[in-house]
Amino acid sequence: MTASLFYLFAVGLLGASLFVVLNPNPMYSVVALVFGFANLAAIYFLLEAYFIGALQVLVYAGAIMVLFLFVVMLLNVQSDADHPSLPRVFRIGSWWFGALALVFIGLFLLLVGRSALALLAPSEVPPTQIGSVSQVGEALFTRYLLPFELASLLLTVALIGTVFLAKKKI
Amino acid sequence: MSDTLYLITLFPLVGFLVNGLLGRWISERQSGLIASLAVLGSLLVSAQLLLGLLARPAEDRLFVQLLFAWIPVGDLNIDVMYRFDPLTAVMTLVITGVGLLIHIYSLGYMRGDPGIRRYYAFLNLFTFMMLNLVLADNLVLLFMGWEGVGLCSYLLIGFWFADEAKARAGLKAFIVNRIGDAGFIIAMVLLFHQFGTLSMSEMAGKAEGALVGPNFFTIVTLLLLVGAIGKSAQIPLFVWLPDAMAGPTPVSALIHAATMVTAGVYLIVRNSLLFSLAPTTMATVAAIGVLTAFLAATIAMTQTDIKKVLAYSTISQLGYMFMAVGVGAFSAGIFHLMTHAFFKALLFLGAGSVIHGLDGEQELGKMGGLKHRMPGTHWTMLIGVLAISGIPGLSGFFSKDEILWGAFIWHDGVNWIWLLGIMTAGLTAFYMFRLYFLVFHGPARWPGDTQPHESPSVMTIPLTLLAYLAILGGYVGIPEALGGINRFHHFLAPVVISYHTAIAAAPNTRPLELLLMAVSTVVSLGGVYYAYRIYRVQPALAEQLARRLRPLYGLSRNRYYVDEFYQAVVVRPFQKLSGLCWNWFDVRAIDGLVNASARSIARLSGVVRQLQSGLIQHYASLILLGVIFIMLYITMG
Amino acid sequence: MNAADILSTLPELVLTVTALGLLLLEVMGKPPRARFVWVALGGVGLALGLEFAVPSEGQFYAGMISVDLFTRFFNVLFLTTAAGSLLISVPYLRRTLEERGEYYALTLFATVGMMFMAKAHDLTITFLGLELLSVSLYILVAFYRNRVRSNEAGLKYLLLGAFSTGFFLFGIALIYGSTGTTHYDGIRLAIGSGEQLSMALTVTGFGLLIIGFAFKVALVPFHMYAPDVYEGAPTPITAFVSTGPKVAGFAAFLKVIATAFAFTTQHWWGILWILAAITMTVGNITALRQDNLKRMLAFSGVAHAGYLAIAIMVGSADSAFALLFYLAAYAITTLGAFGIVSLIEGEDESGLDMDSYRGLARRSPYLAGVFALIMLSLAGFPPTAGFLGKFFIFSAAIDEGYTWLVIIAVVNSLISVYYYLRPVVAMYMQEPADESAVAVPAFIVPVLLLVVLVALGLGLFPMSLVKNSIAAAGSLF
Repeated sequence: MTASLFYLFAVGLLGASLFVVLNPNPMYSVVALVFGFANLAAIYFLLEAYFIGALQVLVYAGAIMVLFLFVVMLLNVQSDADHPSLPRVFRIGSWWFGALALVFIGLFLLLVGRSALALLAPSEVPPTQIGSVSQVGEALFTRYLLPFELASLLLTVALIGTVFLAKKKI
Repeated sequence: MSDTLYLITLFPLVGFLVNGLLGRWISERQSGLIASLAVLGSLLVSAQLLLGLLARPAEDRLFVQLLFAWIPVGDLNIDVMYRFDPLTAVMTLVITGVGLLIHIYSLGYMRGDPGIRRYYAFLNLFTFMMLNLVLADNLVLLFMGWEGVGLCSYLLIGFWFADEAKARAGLKAFIVNRIGDAGFIIAMVLLFHQFGTLSMSEMAGKAEGALVGPNFFTIVTLLLLVGAIGKSAQIPLFVWLPDAMAGPTPVSALIHAATMVTAGVYLIVRNSLLFSLAPTTMATVAAIGVLTAFLAATIAMTQTDIKKVLAYSTISQLGYMFMAVGVGAFSAGIFHLMTHAFFKALLFLGAGSVIHGLDGEQELGKMGGLKHRMPGTHWTMLIGVLAISGIPGLSGFFSKDEILWGAFIWHDGVNWIWLLGIMTAGLTAFYMFRLYFLVFHGPARWPGDTQPHESPSVMTIPLTLLAYLAILGGYVGIPEALGGINRFHHFLAPVVISYHTAIAAAPNTRPLELLLMAVSTVVSLGGVYYAYRIYRVQPALAEQLARRLRPLYGLSRNRYYVDEFYQAVVVRPFQKLSGLCWNWFDVRAIDGLVNASARSIARLSGVVRQLQSGLIQHYASLILLGVIFIMLYITMG
Repeated sequence: MNAADILSTLPELVLTVTALGLLLLEVMGKPPRARFVWVALGGVGLALGLEFAVPSEGQFYAGMISVDLFTRFFNVLFLTTAAGSLLISVPYLRRTLEERGEYYALTLFATVGMMFMAKAHDLTITFLGLELLSVSLYILVAFYRNRVRSNEAGLKYLLLGAFSTGFFLFGIALIYGSTGTTHYDGIRLAIGSGEQLSMALTVTGFGLLIIGFAFKVALVPFHMYAPDVYEGAPTPITAFVSTGPKVAGFAAFLKVIATAFAFTTQHWWGILWILAAITMTVGNITALRQDNLKRMLAFSGVAHAGYLAIAIMVGSADSAFALLFYLAAYAITTLGAFGIVSLIEGEDESGLDMDSYRGLARRSPYLAGVFALIMLSLAGFPPTAGFLGKFFIFSAAIDEGYTWLVIIAVVNSLISVYYYLRPVVAMYMQEPADESAVAVPAFIVPVLLLVVLVALGLGLFPMSLVKNSIAAAGSLF
């Protein structure tokens, strides 16, 4: 049951992600992204990581996506199809780049496929409650304290950069 | 005694720094004086050290000075050490002695040149590097000198940079030397791997009886030989030396005749023990040497530029030295190195004086009849010509005959190396007297408005001193067959390997030696005679001969088309490769276009669009290709 | 977390606080901006002092980082590079009227990222350090907002950097999936005891990590961004971009391969062999045709990454030491090279071509002397530090039997001499267009002295650096 549900959501996630990348209309892309995030959250739920799943919905599917939508609508970004210059990204050399990407995926599958049996074997200890509030909190403030702080530093720098580069007058 | 060794190199270094950094504040004349004094200082210290060496018993003639422990950790132990033994003594005295005369000569030759401080700075830097090369006990230090002299030579060839051709000449010298250096570095790393040391004396101690692969010494010595060939302009890397004549003539005399180009010979002699363990390499050295000697001599016969004739003559004489060391006559090679330094420096400086007197004319066809206009230059040059031709009584005769004797006994009798060597001796006499007659005799062929004049005494005095050296320099090595005791050979004996062959060990070789000397003298005189007939008595004969022997003449005149060959086989393919890399990995052309258009738009969005339409895609594809390559490798592995 | 943890990251904390303080000062609008650089340098100096005053040893933050002689070696190198780059920047920023607190703060943030890359003992930290460094650099490269080329370079760097980061992150995920941990020791134990899910997954993961590192240190074919970014970025930033990420990338690369994978190189030495050979060759041959000094130095940097990759591949104690020595010599000399380029550079990014160096020896003999020394060191002339670095790498490689690779490297380093000597010839053998001396601001002088000290001083008396490199490399084994 869990396994089949997992495959369902995984396919949904992959499909949504592909749609995001390939669709020329940014509006549709954003909506597909929301759908992809929802699938990801579902996978978290399947893993019994309820807290992380909830965060996924709240933060990404909620807040961040709304922001994306606002930006797309505010900037009135046209569909790629109407734009003469942007689609060239996908036209010139796209078959060539796509072919390379396919080769890469093929090789990757070949490599991972070699260990398919090991991957398919069920994990001996089913993960329980790895994503509960207390566990996430504890991990963040003990073992993962340094990564947590570093990540916040990274975000600060990114923020500075965005403001500095984008603001007209500073 | 040995604690003054560092002074030898310190003087020129100081001279270089003063001229290089404080050039603004010193006058032209002071600059030359400082540089000359620096070399004089080195010369005096070397002379004093030589006396110190001679005062000691033969087996104990060695001064060493540890300058500092460079890298003293664990198994990595590299010391910077100078070593002054008989071989070094000969080299330092030649470098500083001939160098000093050339420094003085330059006072006159380079007078009024705007870049004279730079010139003297580089000349001193060159002397410093060259002295390091010969004083080094350690391959790294030797390599520093090796690279340093190459660098100075490169810079000095391009000294009169206004000329595009001269800049290219420097480039050729540079590239060819790089090929040689590759051999040197690889040999150095291999030797270090094998012996765990870079000190040549320690290496020699460990080399005999070392447990190495059967071909180790052959490979290493062949690699060293590649380095030596590049530096000493031997086949097949000799093309750069004639082009290097683009530099000022005193530079040609110092670097491209007397000192730097002989570094290859020095390298082989310094590592004579390693070479003696590799008979294959030795045979290769001898063959390369004699072939170079012969071919370069045939080319020199038809050249019409006075400096080019001397350049090919230098190549040919260097071939002689290679032949000497190849047949195991190491001390004869060094002997010839020394006498050659004297008479070839003399010839170059004499040629410089002629060029100076004719306002820069270098074509033999526009000279002639200068005997009375430039008497001092004429007489000194005649001595140089006689010396290089191997006329008995002058220095060249002694060293050349010792080499030929070495070649003769190498295979216990007449062999092809000896035969080619003796033919070369004849050719040498021929082309040198051709040059002499064309310059100093016959009708004057210079344009009417030129007034040939003798050079100032600051130039003729060094010429005279060199002429004395060219006469007397040989008397330190009078062979035993002529009643001498060959001091030079015995002086060098402790530091070089000597070969013992059947003939050499025979009880009385004197008649045979005398006979061979007579043969080579006759051959040389024959060369002189033909030159006299063709260029003095019947000038029309030269034209006739050239016409009759057209194919041969053409080959020689065009230097066997070696340059063209390299151009087609090496240079062009490399240019193509470089162009390919340029197109593939550096799309500056496209880039510039993008930027130009981007600037006119001058808006970020515009740039983004331009980027996305091409380059980023291109770059990302290449990254993906790299990723695929790595994945593929892992899949296969 | 306890006090020891804090102490182990004291230098990084100091730098972070300084950087944040600079941002605040910028916002407050006082003191005058001319003082900012002293604040930044003070922070760097304090961090450097703390590195020695409060030495730590061991693993901290629950094993997330490890501190030892290796990390100290690199921290000193990073801090020196940062200080040098700050000093080079000042005259340039003032000349172009762009001196701002953000600039100094971002340089410090990038340095913190580099320091964490070397200290990381867990792939999470490696990744975060790498990103902190990269994001700071993206912004710095695009710092001149009104210059199209600067923006273009920043954008290219960002897009391609993100692309390669994707591979890096994917590699971490695969390794985690296979071994169940991101901790270096844990990965090594899992591989050693065979408790991993599958070797193929681990190896694939590591292959993807290589791509991430290869991009940061600019190995062919992941180097394409380098020339564009180097050329487009403001010159002092080019100095920083061409040294910082390369040194940090190699430090982290070496640490990962030595600690997490214990040099189990049989799976990827071939990859590195080929990458090293291609990188050297392409870098050198393409550099031959560059007239723009910044671009030439960019390709020269690519070529040097090739030599350094040899040291990574060889994977012996000797080669690790050689790598450290080489990195130190390379970083400082390259920094100096760009420092001088930024002096010669005129307004509106002119004066970057070879012709601008004509007759420099006559105009400013000392500056020309230092630049010639840098070029000779980069080309590997004895007795410079550059020569020793090459010599150490080559002999370590010969000792392990990689003779052919060494031959390729030797031929390459000889080709490189050609383009390194071009500016030397221009400076010494050609006539200057004008006779005026180049003004050397006081800020640059210490950098130039440091360069001479490293290139020539360490060439003649390399013992101090050799000893430290050996000790630092030793703590990896």
